[in-house]
Amino acid sequence: MDITTFMQQMINGISLGSMYALIAIGYTLVYGVLRLINFAHGDIMMVGAFAAYFAHASGIPFGLAVILAIIAAMVTGILTDKIAYKPLRNAPKISLLITAIGISFFLENLFNVLFGGVPKAFSAPNYLTKIIHFHGIVIPMTVIIIPVVTLILLFIMLWILNKTKYGMAIRSLAFDIPTVKLMGINADFIIMLVFAMGSGLAAIGGIFYAISYPSIDPLMGVIVGLKAFAAAVLGGIGSVTGAVLGGFILGFTEIVVVAFMPELGGYKDAFAFVFLILVLLFKPTGIMGQDLERSRF
Amino acid sequence: MKKITTIVATAALIASVSYAKEIKIGVVLPLTGPIAAFGQTSNDGLKIAYAERHKLKNGDKIKLIVLDDRGDKVEAATATKRLIDKNHVTAILGEVASSNSMAMAPIAERSKTPMITHASTNPRVTKGKKFVTRACFIDPFQGAIQANYAYDHGYKTAVIVTDAKQDYSVGVSKAFKKAYLKRGGKILGRVIINSGDKDFNAQVSTIKSKHPDIVDFTGYYPEAALMVRQARAMGVKAAFIGGDGVGFPELIKIAGKAAEGFMYSDHFNEAAATSPAAKAYVDAFHAKYHKPADSMGALAADAYNMILDAMNKCSNPADKICVNKNLRDTKNFQGVTGVINIDKNGDAVKSGVVNVVRNGKFAYLTTVNP
Repeated sequence: MDITTFMQQMINGISLGSMYALIAIGYTLVYGVLRLINFAHGDIMMVGAFAAYFAHASGIPFGLAVILAIIAAMVTGILTDKIAYKPLRNAPKISLLITAIGISFFLENLFNVLFGGVPKAFSAPNYLTKIIHFHGIVIPMTVIIIPVVTLILLFIMLWILNKTKYGMAIRSLAFDIPTVKLMGINADFIIMLVFAMGSGLAAIGGIFYAISYPSIDPLMGVIVGLKAFAAAVLGGIGSVTGAVLGGFILGFTEIVVVAFMPELGGYKDAFAFVFLILVLLFKPTGIMGQDLERSRF
Repeated sequence: MKKITTIVATAALIASVSYAKEIKIGVVLPLTGPIAAFGQTSNDGLKIAYAERHKLKNGDKIKLIVLDDRGDKVEAATATKRLIDKNHVTAILGEVASSNSMAMAPIAERSKTPMITHASTNPRVTKGKKFVTRACFIDPFQGAIQANYAYDHGYKTAVIVTDAKQDYSVGVSKAFKKAYLKRGGKILGRVIINSGDKDFNAQVSTIKSKHPDIVDFTGYYPEAALMVRQARAMGVKAAFIGGDGVGFPELIKIAGKAAEGFMYSDHFNEAAATSPAAKAYVDAFHAKYHKPADSMGALAADAYNMILDAMNKCSNPADKICVNKNLRDTKNFQGVTGVINIDKNGDAVKSGVVNVVRNGKFAYLTTVNP
């Protein structure tokens, strides 16, 4: 393998890794507070991508379409919380988990019925799909934008969580919901806020995913949601920084397998998951994860 | 227990005296999911064929029960079981993807229900099966069309792209390799993808470093569209050729300009449709859907009509054994996609075409006979 191809593969790794990282942040945020593995996260991502698609297709400028899509995803997230999760606040965690899977199926099938299962071509403005050529290496614009967006969102998340009053409320919720309620904090409002944030992040992830791989369908969130979940677990679920790290590791593992062992490329997911198992064997809480009983984020 | 027996007996009695029966045909298609376009266009063609002809010679009415399997093997098997056990269908039409048809075949075989797949081209679908037939040619033929066409038009080196999750792709890859090497071509390597993947930059980078004349893409259109798009973005100059799995409008919609020049072997092109059966179908299709008639719909229509022809030859059209025998004995069937003869394995022997994407449309290149 010559140096150009190698560098190209590294760029490909950054591209894929940052994609996973971006989606994993939202996963980990909801888990950190509610200890709910929100399996519907990938589908909220799909909702975001579809909302942006339809808004843009109806003639709304792309920037505005993105904002509308984020709002649509936030509303979807809040509604699922209000309708499906809130009545189960005091139920065993496993009921919540099953409900999340149910929501996931519901969203997938609802969109299947409404818009059909045939993939739609997602069109984005040229400045986002531009390609830069650099000494024989091809760098899509998204490879530069997505990591930057991921890092910005990461810092915003950390800032909200650690420096604001709402962040403090969110962190305290992660410890003990009944006690927080006793302190006079509106726990339901804060949880709603978390879902809104998580869904907004999912929408941003979905839109960038659709820009990078411009075909969207109602089941687009299934595989990438699973990968993002794996990334979040790898990095230490509940840790926002860990999610980003996990995303990059997973992305690079997949690219490296395909690049160096093309014949085994069909098993790249298997390699990624074996790697996940190995990490969990030696560090059950993930790379950045700490004992979940005592700390969050 | 006694009560149940009485009910069953009464039901049987009523069933035997009622005249102009309803004959049920079960259909399993991927109407949603990653390869939904196949299922939807198959269904479009089926509707045309059904509107044209939904009564048997003896006056019995045909009822179609269409189930969606989301392109999933397990769902396809479940749907087949349901059609046989619950709906008591006489015959089953489907699926598109070879992997899914292979999940269905053993169930049809066990219950002795004739099954015809209109579009699954992997040889193993019918292999060793007495109740499974198909209306399309098989992969060795398809792979050979691609290999010979590519080599004869100056593409002397190739990289093969195989979708490891699809039996169809594995089959075509193997057939392409064999035919291409035999012709004198050189295979520079093979890259593996998985259907459902969206990022092919790693595979494309590998292809780019090998500088092939042509890339034989053996998977389906969702991956084809994204891969050729990423390949052109990366500056890969090689031509692309594929099979019947890529020839869908979505290829052009998603890949845009990158799809230009993408060649593929296929079952049918309306530009080459000259027979009366084909012309009637194409006209009806245009009138109803206002879009070009594609091969999946045409194949589904042929498979449906083959079932009806087989039923017409039986004194009792609900006799599954008889229907199956006639289906397997189909000879000189004048279908939309050409003349179909079923060989002893249950495979169709028929001609194929090569198409290309030109100016955002599918253009006809040539017809290849078996």
